[in-house]
Amino acid sequence: MGHVQRAIEEAGIPTVSVYIRSFGHIPELMGLSRSLITRHPMGRPLGAPGDGKRQRSVVEAALALLESPTQTIVEFDETYRIESD
Amino acid sequence: MEATGLALGMTDNESVDDPPEPDPTETIEELRRSFWYGSRSNLSFKFLKDLPDAEFGDFLDELLTEVAATIDSGDPTGVIDTAYRWQIQGYTGHLGDPNDFPHRFDDVPINPLPKPLSECRVTLLTSSGHFVEGDDPKPFGIESMTQAEAEARIGDFLKEAPSLSSIPVDVDPAQLRVRHGGYPTDAVRSDHQVGLPIGHLADLAADGVIGALNPTAYSFVGAASQVRLKRQVAPEWADRLRNDGETDVVLLVPL
Repeated sequence: MGHVQRAIEEAGIPTVSVYIRSFGHIPELMGLSRSLITRHPMGRPLGAPGDGKRQRSVVEAALALLESPTQTIVEFDETYRIESD
Repeated sequence: MEATGLALGMTDNESVDDPPEPDPTETIEELRRSFWYGSRSNLSFKFLKDLPDAEFGDFLDELLTEVAATIDSGDPTGVIDTAYRWQIQGYTGHLGDPNDFPHRFDDVPINPLPKPLSECRVTLLTSSGHFVEGDDPKPFGIESMTQAEAEARIGDFLKEAPSLSSIPVDVDPAQLRVRHGGYPTDAVRSDHQVGLPIGHLADLAADGVIGALNPTAYSFVGAASQVRLKRQVAPEWADRLRNDGETDVVLLVPL
């Protein structure tokens, strides 16, 4: 996905990605513009299934990074918990 | 004899005289590697292939300790945290020299927002492997390939360019399918918004946080040839988004 993010930025479109911590080294190594790193297990980048509140918070936090004009890689500071709406 | 067999959980065809033989030649390395698309394939723990034996022992020790604690507490938090921490160790603990990372770049292509986020049209693009029923991307020409087949053919996927599936954001979730041989898909199967947050983005558009959501979201299988993705496919997709008239910014969700 890093190549896709770079290509879209090279086409003139601002981007932001959500990486899990296991892949959190990729944004810096690949020179990605903006990434939110979540402390979630593999296969659950936005949160646990059924936890719409957490999923929406992650999406909103990621979109907020678009305001940054320079490379921004930050961690979403909540640990993974299984909670349902 | 019969009572003994029942106590051991045996079936009618087994007896204590001829228990199944474990492979006496399996080494610790072979055991670790069996989780990577082998006899014990497990996409949540395939990273065990790359752990040194001593770390593999530490992982088992910690995991079993947490499992034992869970028996009485009923709280699986420690088990989940242990799996999470060891996934990180597996993927980031032995990266070596950053200069050896095969897709390293020193530059950072980046564009400022053209207007406030509350006025921007957002496109979602994920590598979750979602597609809509009736629009199967048919990898290698195979219709209705199963998840198990996708895992078995992971080596073939990693040699091919991925194809991009279009997903109407108002799709009936019952029509969504997911097939991806590279990550544990259980969570996105039970709730697509774990990796394809079309409902949350629609809500954010309705609430005025973003201007609008592109009526088409995109998904592909991220387990693909990275060289073909970089040279051929990614630039084509970027052109498509630049010209679709629906995209001011893009949210990417790698799985």
